[in-house]
Amino acid sequence: MNKRITAVMLTAAMAAGSLAGCSGGSSAAGTTAAQNTAGTTAAGSAEAGTTAAGPTTITFWHSMGGVNGEAIDYLVNKFNTENTQGITVEAQYQGSYDDAINKLKSAQIGNMGADLVQIYDIGTRFMIDSGWVVPMQELVDADGWDLKQVEPNIAAYYTVDNTLYSMPFNSSTPLMYYNKDMFDKAGITEIPDSLPGIEAIGEDLINKGGAGEVMSLAIYGWFFEQFTCKQQQAYANNGNGRTDVATAVDFDQNGAGAKTLTAWKSLYDKGFAPNVGRGGDAGLADFSSGKSAITLGSTASLKQILNDVNGKFEVGTAYFPKVSADDKGGVSIGGGSLWALNNEDTAKQKATWEFVKFLVSAESQAYWNAQTGYFPVTTAAHDEPVFKENIAKYPQFMTAIEQLHDSTPESAGALLSIFPEARKVVETEIENMLNSGSQPEAAADAMAKQINKAIEEYNLLNE
Amino acid sequence: MKDKSLIKRFGAYGYVVPAMLVFAVFLFYPFFKTIYLSMYKTNKMGEAKLFVGLGNYIDLLTSKSFYNSIAVTVIFVLIVVTGSMLLGLIAAVLCNKTFPGIRFFSTAYALPMAIASSSAAMIFKIMLHPSIGIVNKLLHLDINWINDPKYALVCVAVLTAWLNSGINFLYFSAGLSNIDESIYERASVDGANEVQKFFQLTLPGLSPIMFYTLVVNIIQAFQSFGQVKVLTQGGPGESTNLIVYSIYRDAFFNFRFGSAAAQSVILFALIMCLTLVMFKVEKKGVQY
Repeated sequence: MNKRITAVMLTAAMAAGSLAGCSGGSSAAGTTAAQNTAGTTAAGSAEAGTTAAGPTTITFWHSMGGVNGEAIDYLVNKFNTENTQGITVEAQYQGSYDDAINKLKSAQIGNMGADLVQIYDIGTRFMIDSGWVVPMQELVDADGWDLKQVEPNIAAYYTVDNTLYSMPFNSSTPLMYYNKDMFDKAGITEIPDSLPGIEAIGEDLINKGGAGEVMSLAIYGWFFEQFTCKQQQAYANNGNGRTDVATAVDFDQNGAGAKTLTAWKSLYDKGFAPNVGRGGDAGLADFSSGKSAITLGSTASLKQILNDVNGKFEVGTAYFPKVSADDKGGVSIGGGSLWALNNEDTAKQKATWEFVKFLVSAESQAYWNAQTGYFPVTTAAHDEPVFKENIAKYPQFMTAIEQLHDSTPESAGALLSIFPEARKVVETEIENMLNSGSQPEAAADAMAKQINKAIEEYNLLNE
Repeated sequence: MKDKSLIKRFGAYGYVVPAMLVFAVFLFYPFFKTIYLSMYKTNKMGEAKLFVGLGNYIDLLTSKSFYNSIAVTVIFVLIVVTGSMLLGLIAAVLCNKTFPGIRFFSTAYALPMAIASSSAAMIFKIMLHPSIGIVNKLLHLDINWINDPKYALVCVAVLTAWLNSGINFLYFSAGLSNIDESIYERASVDGANEVQKFFQLTLPGLSPIMFYTLVVNIIQAFQSFGQVKVLTQGGPGESTNLIVYSIYRDAFFNFRFGSAAAQSVILFALIMCLTLVMFKVEKKGVQY
């Protein structure tokens, strides 16, 4: 009997492990961050031993893996060897955007983290509210740097109350990619610019063009936000969360959400846009393999698509589609920007600014654009030979730049502190709508209800 | 004399202290912290901010999404435990005889144990892709495995069953080698056929290890996470929103530790009850 009790207790302990996993995680993240910082300090003091002329070491957290990560490392190395002020930048890859912002939260509890962090677009409101940052505007003004060098439609996203909070670094917009061969075969000369337009040529693309499916439309919250921008409607109240903290979403009130979902569902019901999965690149495989005639994706996916297609057919690019033919809005940007953290160390802050200035210089941005497919955020980069070569090689990229220039700062998009959660809610409800055949209005209401509840709770707890 | 009896009485506890310390830091402290957090709402930093008592629990118990999570988890556990135990048992019985190449087969059957769940999920994600995946190509089907709520849960469950079958294979193999060979000989003399031998001798002989495997498998299945995160992220809709994934989402994505902690406590109570029930049932089914 005793043996049995011990066994029960042991099993209970194992079961308790499931509980421990939850609260253990955050402290683990805290430790990692602490170790990182410890490492940096050690490196910093070692540096101080070798160079006499007031060297500074700053830590830069980023979320760029793979090819993009290599491009960042190249830029960081270049800065470290070329700068004359004795600044050393330590670049640390922190995993995905979500991981990086979560690590930052844990690290800031212990008040130690990085000097410069790359944060995704939807973390903007959170970062502004956090009180951990030095607005980029202060650094810009202190140096007398001309902000007009930055693409106005990109800067607009990160500008709140006329203050630029973070420096755009890797920016992208969504594009419509289409299979030119299929369009030619179907005899379609006019590329559709709206979802109903795509629906109208759907039959032709399948019957004459030989498409397996008309459109591989991934269920991605970012697209839903862009469709709202295209309709010139607000996603959230209080001026899209820009004049003041948003207290509720607006897309259910102004009808933009239901309109988007109606067009979406109509494409789905006709079998033109089947459910290809969740997330930004869920639709790309069907397109690259030659199954779907059209897909939506980030400009940053252009290179990958061209590589995957590998000349099997000609890839065309067009503006992100409107929801109805008479919409006049533009697209907002996505991607990441650079946030300077307030570590109350003026030397480090200056060093951080020097590094930011280097990263957004025309030369760096042209290199960055050629390597990754993100926009050059500084207009002067368009004159760099590297950029010109790249455009000559990938003329499709020009569409992205024209689309950005045709957009307006008013289409900058919403800021919401709980955006990551809101995006997931939107994706889940779109799936529910497609799978259960419920009405678009009901789906939009369901989204609004859940997101509003989250906003309300967040605002209550984080005044 | 007095000292000696003191050591005799309390010495044993001294030996337990190091292990208890480890438990205290990594299990008991987080355990109680979780219970504490489950009674609060937390701010964006994950700090307890607003005391709500049982508020988080009431929210959960009145939310459809939470019941869905529980229902999905129960179905998932049923498929995984049956699947992984059957796979492990069949493989172990097959490998119980010696034949050329036995090493290769036993390694192959035990291999899933060594594969990380997320990397297996990545491979399955490609294999199950509707237009470029090998599964549809081979079977000449056009099924959207991961994005169709009818199949998504089954896909994740089958993957998990396969992953868990490796360790079961190992347990069952060990159990089989513990069964005395001579009882089979005696049964043969009495004229028993192979099927009778399997049900009358092998299964009862395996029952102690089988019980242990069952308990461990159930707990393990309840805690599956990596596969869901990689394959479906709880979707489509909420059809694969297993409770552990839902906890992760609330805690590390929505930064709502209170609700996540409350879900953890409920999960703990569930597994605890289940385990106690199983130990009660054990008396009837297991032959030592």
